[in-house]
Amino acid sequence: MAAAVAIAAVSEMKPGRYPEQDGYALYVEVVRQFLAEWRIRPADIDGVLACPAGMAGGGSADIFVHEQLYEELGLHPRYGDTMNAGGATYGYMVQRAAAAIRQGLADSVLCIGAGKFPKVGTGGAELMARMVSHEAFEFPYGTFIPAIYAQVATRHMHEFGTTAEHFAEVAVSSRAWALRNPQAATYGTEPLTVAKVRASRPIATPFHLYDCSIPLEGGAAVLVASERVAKRIAQQPAWLLGMGEYHSHRNIHQAADLLDIGCGKAGRIAYERAGLTPGDMQFAQIYDAFSVNPLVFAEELGLCPRGQGGALFASGATRPGGDLPINTYGGLLSFGHTGDSSGMSMIVEGARQVMGIAGERQLTRADVGVVHSYGGMMSEHSTLILGRQS
Amino acid sequence: MSQDSPAAQPLPPKPLPKMTPGAEHYWASATREEFVLPHCGDCDRVFFYPRQWCPHCFGQQLDWRKASGRGTVYSFSVVHQAPFPSYQGDVPYVLAVIELAEGPRMMANVLHCAPDQIRVGLPVEVTFEARGDMKIPQFQPVHS
Repeated sequence: MAAAVAIAAVSEMKPGRYPEQDGYALYVEVVRQFLAEWRIRPADIDGVLACPAGMAGGGSADIFVHEQLYEELGLHPRYGDTMNAGGATYGYMVQRAAAAIRQGLADSVLCIGAGKFPKVGTGGAELMARMVSHEAFEFPYGTFIPAIYAQVATRHMHEFGTTAEHFAEVAVSSRAWALRNPQAATYGTEPLTVAKVRASRPIATPFHLYDCSIPLEGGAAVLVASERVAKRIAQQPAWLLGMGEYHSHRNIHQAADLLDIGCGKAGRIAYERAGLTPGDMQFAQIYDAFSVNPLVFAEELGLCPRGQGGALFASGATRPGGDLPINTYGGLLSFGHTGDSSGMSMIVEGARQVMGIAGERQLTRADVGVVHSYGGMMSEHSTLILGRQS
Repeated sequence: MSQDSPAAQPLPPKPLPKMTPGAEHYWASATREEFVLPHCGDCDRVFFYPRQWCPHCFGQQLDWRKASGRGTVYSFSVVHQAPFPSYQGDVPYVLAVIELAEGPRMMANVLHCAPDQIRVGLPVEVTFEARGDMKIPQFQPVHS
């Protein structure tokens, strides 16, 4: 059996707009908050993985972030890299860190990300459409990120009779959780209803405004550590029980099957390595750029039968008090989507729940849960299984 | 000159496809209103999108096959908020993935189709839309 590896410490900025801080300055703020929150000394970190800074600006990205960070931290790590896989970046960082620790290349790896989000109304939508769609065979057709995700939603509606109201239920569930999370961008606002989601501005069918995540800025850090280091830092580490990775496509029209898009393939690898089944999962944190993702990916991850994602969310099971809590921090839909660092949020929350430090929204059953993130246009997938028993 | 009405400003031209290696003949054919697909002489399959090797077998003995231009809507979205200025005059427009009769899928707009008429499985046929000095394949409902 592979040596035990855990997430030993997590920290995340409150999503917001930080105009005075550029991409790298946000990294520095993430580090400051992380070090303020945890009793960690320089000797506790011997690996650093970071994401390029400034990608959302569309100009040249800083790909030397890890160098600047380890120098500023006064570290001389044995392991380091700046890497990018979109929203899957941080799931893969945890996986790379765990593999490195198991190979003896490092004892504990600081995985860190900070991100900005271009404003959609000021050329940002075009910039992002260019980044995520084929320059010859997609972009000339007026690609738009919500409309790309909507291809999965429309296909699901066709095959299973799912409705726009079912997708709205995902947004309603996420908001109910965000209202219990003071760090969420929508904390202190009103609960959503299906009617409110459907009455919000139409974006691209079947999505209205509240089916879309909230573009903000922020960042987060997690420390992935060997058993020895993890036990010293955390009372209850979040043990990494299984992990899976799958790369499907880049451009949405190249996806072999819009309803088997790679999430389930990564998930099956993770469950197998953990020696667990979907039925063992007590919660799920699922990357949600749009309301379609948790609904369809709950199915792909085996958390409900094929075609029953809409019924799952309509049943209330995913909300506070439900049997299968999903996105217990509010999701990117209501917590906020921090651009290049958005793939951290569900990992941080999954770890917090397992570590028992989720505050008012702490689940009573959080012995084991699944965290799924993806990058690109649902292109590449990462599944992590976290638990209390190594 | 009045700046009051943005609608009075001419919209910028829609984007041209970037020329990519192995796709030159595809676009040249489209500009002649011919819809062709790359075909692999090694494994005898057509594929999309055009490139310099076959994604099924890596074969490089490629030629071109005239395609039927028929297909069905595999999935779609009706876009209500234009992502960039050149599409502002088109909203609501249909962004779709088309499953070609020959098998491969491609992205296109479905033109000449009311937003409430679009559906998964709708039979469509190729048409061509001028972009600058060239034309690009688009689709429209099959005229029965």
